[in-house]
Amino acid sequence: MKLLMLEVKDLNVAYGNVQVLWDVSLNVAEGEIVVLLGANGAGKTTLLNAITGLVRPLGGNVSFLGRDITGLPPNEIVEHGIAYLPEGGRLFPDMSVQENLEMGSYLKNNWKIRKNRLEYVYNVFPRLKERRKQLAKTLSGGERQMLAMGRCLMSNPKMGFFDELSYGLAPKLVKEAFAMLKSLRDLGLTIFLIEQNANQSLEIADRAYVLENGRIVNSGTANELLHSDHIRKAYLGL
Amino acid sequence: MISFINVLVNGLLLGGIYAITAMGLSLQYGVARILNIAHGEFIMVGAFLTFVLHTKLGINPLFGLAVAGPVLFVVGYLIQRILFKTLKDRTPTPAAFEGSSMLMAFGILFVVQSIAIFIWGTNVQGYSYLAYSVYLGDIRFSVNRLVILVISVLICLLFYLFLTRTRTGKAIRAASQDPDAAGLMGVNINRMLALCFAFGAMMAGFAGMLISMVFPIYTTMGMQYTIIAIIVVVLGGLGSIPGSMIGGFLLGIFSAIVSAKDPGLTMAAYYLLFLVLLLVKPSGIFGR
Ligand SMILES: Nc1ncnc2c1ncn2[C@@H]1O[C@H](COP(=O)(O)OP(=O)(O)OP(=O)(O)O)[C@@H](O)[C@H]1O
Ligand SMILES: [Mg+2]
Repeated sequence: MKLLMLEVKDLNVAYGNVQVLWDVSLNVAEGEIVVLLGANGAGKTTLLNAITGLVRPLGGNVSFLGRDITGLPPNEIVEHGIAYLPEGGRLFPDMSVQENLEMGSYLKNNWKIRKNRLEYVYNVFPRLKERRKQLAKTLSGGERQMLAMGRCLMSNPKMGFFDELSYGLAPKLVKEAFAMLKSLRDLGLTIFLIEQNANQSLEIADRAYVLENGRIVNSGTANELLHSDHIRKAYLGL
Repeated sequence: MISFINVLVNGLLLGGIYAITAMGLSLQYGVARILNIAHGEFIMVGAFLTFVLHTKLGINPLFGLAVAGPVLFVVGYLIQRILFKTLKDRTPTPAAFEGSSMLMAFGILFVVQSIAIFIWGTNVQGYSYLAYSVYLGDIRFSVNRLVILVISVLICLLFYLFLTRTRTGKAIRAASQDPDAAGLMGVNINRMLALCFAFGAMMAGFAGMLISMVFPIYTTMGMQYTIIAIIVVVLGGLGSIPGSMIGGFLLGIFSAIVSAKDPGLTMAAYYLLFLVLLLVKPSGIFGR
């Protein structure tokens, strides 16, 4: 039995009077890659925002490695070893590439070893090293995603949440990004992924959940879902 | 030619004070989204603190830097924590907070000013310190103004280094660019908000100390400096710290040129510049 990393129980989230998530429950074990599929507006981003503390849930529970983190502010949640690549990257536009990366090592213990982490990330993304002095807002779309990814790695997290990592990337880069996730997992990172790109993400994932209109309507191993009629029709366009 | 250099130098001297004033306002607006209409009142308090220490206790005005700055830092921190934080928690949206925080700053303005009038009255006060001139070549400089220029350039420089080189400084910049993303990096946003407001008040304290060395001070002097700070901040680009520094020096020079023609026109010229800027380049020289 693998160690349970993330456990979400009966999570309900609303914006004002409009409820967007209904009794969402899911879990991720250590070392897994789990993907969350769902149409536009299903509530995927909201779920990640609620897990990472950007949005306060109405009710329900989030626990990480057995500790209850529900309703904590983001800065306390990331201290547990969580990194979140939010939708669109959310880089600091007027800071340089290197400063953006350094912010990824902001937590006290990481700050001391940020030089080592920088070296590691520059090794993974040599392109970022070339552009380290450039302001983030002047990067190309692909470079931005690399930087957002690199910034996540700067904190040496136990678990990474990625909201549409493949967004805006050329097909070749999407392939590379997914390959990279796989190799990160092999190095010990647990991964929870939101993807529009159902086909390729299911190929690297161990398990998947399907979110529709704020409810989990389907889940299973990636293989099961690849062959389920519902998924083939709705998400794979077959 | 000599008179032109004189005007330029005078402008730079004034510019140093403006730069610090505007930097303070910019810090408070850039991160905390508080347009602190009471900024000038903090400056007034810094000026009077220095004045009282010097005239009553004989303490060197330059030492006032070490008093006015830290005292206002603490006051600013507490004001943010007690007043603005509470207001923010009760305001539903960030946009609504920008409005209501400005009203609260108005309230602070009147409270601080009334208390100051109660203690110090409404008379114009002042002292003279290092108020003599030296000649460099053919140009005459008053020593206190030179000292002020050096101090203000130093403050700007040190603060710039703080923002660009230190962990906390980088966190402040990150929080001003994307507070949510900064939170995800582990930055405690509430702490940054209080810190930025406190630094802004500290800058006001420094500016007040510098102003008291060369200009007459009075308990209702605040508004004038708030307005100047707002003009500089718009000139330099809302929330841009380097913009505020450079904008301060530019406005100082502009002011010196205008007042060389006719000192009575200075304020009118400021407003005119302000209006033209809002029409031509509302995002400022360094605006995003
Ligand atoms: N801050 C907000 N205030 C009000 N409603 C919101 C807010 N953020 C999201 N919503 C609404 O909540 C619903 C879910 O949005 P969410 O961003 O979670 O969807 P998503 O599954 O990530 O979609 P996409 O694939 O397009 O990114 C949508 O109907 C959206 O309009
Ligand atoms: Mg989304």
